[in-house]
Amino acid sequence: MNNNTIIQFKDVTKQFADDQPVLDHVNFEIERGKFYTLLGPSGCGKTTILRLIAGFTQPTSGEVLFDNHIYNHVPANKRQVNTVFQDYALFPHLNVFENVAFGLRIQKFKEKDIEKKVKQALSFVNLAGYEEREVSEMSGGQRQRVAIARAIVNEPQVILLDEPLSALDLKLRTQMQYELRDLQRRLGITFIFVTHDQEEALAMSDEIFVINKGKIQQSGTPIDIYDEPVNRFVADFIGESNIVKGTMIRDFLVSFTGKEFECVDQGIAENKKVEVVIRPEDLHIVPWEQGKLQVKVHSTLFRGVHYEIICHDSAGNEWLVHSTKKAKAGDTIGLYFDPEAIHVMVVGETEEEFDRRLESYAVDDTSAN
Amino acid sequence: MQTKHYQKLYMVPYFLWIIVFVVAPLLLVLYYSFFDVEGHFTFTNYQKFFTPVYLKMTFSSFWYAFLITLIALIIAYPVAYLLTKTKHKQLWLLLIIVPSWVNLLLKAYAFIGIFGQYGLANGLLGLVGIAPKQILFTDFSFVFVAVYIFIPFMILPIFNALNELNDTYIDAAKDLGASKWTTFRRVIFPLTIGGVKSGCQIVFIPALSLFMLTRLIAGSRVITLGTAIEQHFLVTQDWGMGSTIAVFLIIAMFIIMAFTADRKRGA
Repeated sequence: MNNNTIIQFKDVTKQFADDQPVLDHVNFEIERGKFYTLLGPSGCGKTTILRLIAGFTQPTSGEVLFDNHIYNHVPANKRQVNTVFQDYALFPHLNVFENVAFGLRIQKFKEKDIEKKVKQALSFVNLAGYEEREVSEMSGGQRQRVAIARAIVNEPQVILLDEPLSALDLKLRTQMQYELRDLQRRLGITFIFVTHDQEEALAMSDEIFVINKGKIQQSGTPIDIYDEPVNRFVADFIGESNIVKGTMIRDFLVSFTGKEFECVDQGIAENKKVEVVIRPEDLHIVPWEQGKLQVKVHSTLFRGVHYEIICHDSAGNEWLVHSTKKAKAGDTIGLYFDPEAIHVMVVGETEEEFDRRLESYAVDDTSAN
Repeated sequence: MQTKHYQKLYMVPYFLWIIVFVVAPLLLVLYYSFFDVEGHFTFTNYQKFFTPVYLKMTFSSFWYAFLITLIALIIAYPVAYLLTKTKHKQLWLLLIIVPSWVNLLLKAYAFIGIFGQYGLANGLLGLVGIAPKQILFTDFSFVFVAVYIFIPFMILPIFNALNELNDTYIDAAKDLGASKWTTFRRVIFPLTIGGVKSGCQIVFIPALSLFMLTRLIAGSRVITLGTAIEQHFLVTQDWGMGSTIAVFLIIAMFIIMAFTADRKRGA
């Protein structure tokens, strides 16, 4: 671990009674000043991670470290962490000013400083002039901003956001994504954002942890995770994917749908059974004879930016294509893709093995040069 | 048109009830308060009310009602809070409410037995070597029994308010650095004040006009407005004076209701 690490989970398990563990031996590090997203379906354990960091719950086993100190039993009110709750949890008996000032009053700041800090925090979230409003008079988006102001005013080291955008409508949600990202850059503090919305995660994060069934499936930058998903779950959860079974013939050659294709993957044993991922936007519609794959169009759906076309090949695999070109149901068309568009996943490979394989390429590359 | 007509018809029993059992008695009380024992129209009852005898009685009524409410609140709040934290909270709540179904007089007589010279309380005191004490017919026994009787009515609204309190408010307070006590003082209590107010209302108003207990438990040591009304109607037969006191009690109740009503915020 390096000096920049602020939070570290070591082998953390959380289990209620004899149920399946909510978190199963989770390890990760969070660095200062970055925007992290915990992404996963509901019930995957992402909110539990947040509650462990906030101190609302304790791990069953393992260690939660802050700045290299074990924080397992440090109560929530002694942690330099503030949370933006899913339903905002703004105090209904206090107005906007008092809600934001709540943490400062507990820290016994002088009235003058409180006023200055609250005003500053509110103007940070574009709510200057709303001090005397009651919470009940604010819209969903405004409440959201008050909740953020209430968190940032305490100048914590880390801000935790528990699906804060899920209650907003699409337009406002997109706007708040920009604002949150911008706010994080301006403040320079660590944000840990929990969501089940993959687009949100891809748009905002420096680093994404994809979580499923209490385990971190993959962590990395949005581009890494989108382009190099480690397994079927990640490939399916992040964006839309065509996943078909195949066999690795040798380095840079994979076979699926009964044909062999050039690819960029290597380091996998020959004749190993693999899964092949091709993103729908990487498939291009071409005339039948020019295509690497020949398929029959099953249905098309107009999505505004593109057509969503579902096709079947002769082997019975379904192919989802995003294209600006139109195709009619019943047409037979060709699909073309670059070797780079093919991503090969080894069934049952863990993230560590996957990373090791990727690193070994890099070594090969340098030795080749 | 037809349905509207029927809707009005459905309201008739309600209005009849209100007129016969609420409005008419209030008007009758007001009417009687202007007559003396001989049946002559007079304002002397109202003059008499402002003499030291009655003012002292009023003061002592308010004082005891205040004491009873305060002690009930001090006991009921923590109990209600602990109840919301228990596993089978509805069952525990039921156990606390059950005694309130027993007739008030029966409970009062039970306490006469417990607090009597040879009762359980003195028996226990004897065991630890304290000589028998006069417990019955004291201020203490009156307040004790009154609190015992009223406490379920205080617990219930506070329990409901605490039970409805969203746990994330408590998490949010902790998250912002509040200790347990600060969380209680700044968040939990202000958010359950509605329950406290209704509890105080339900206890204070009946406590103001208690009369049976004053005689049975306090042995007429404590004379409240309730006792005075009872005495005037049943003993001295001065219905006029009794009604006058009742008028003031009713006014006091309205004032308390207005005082403890939930004001709408931010209107």
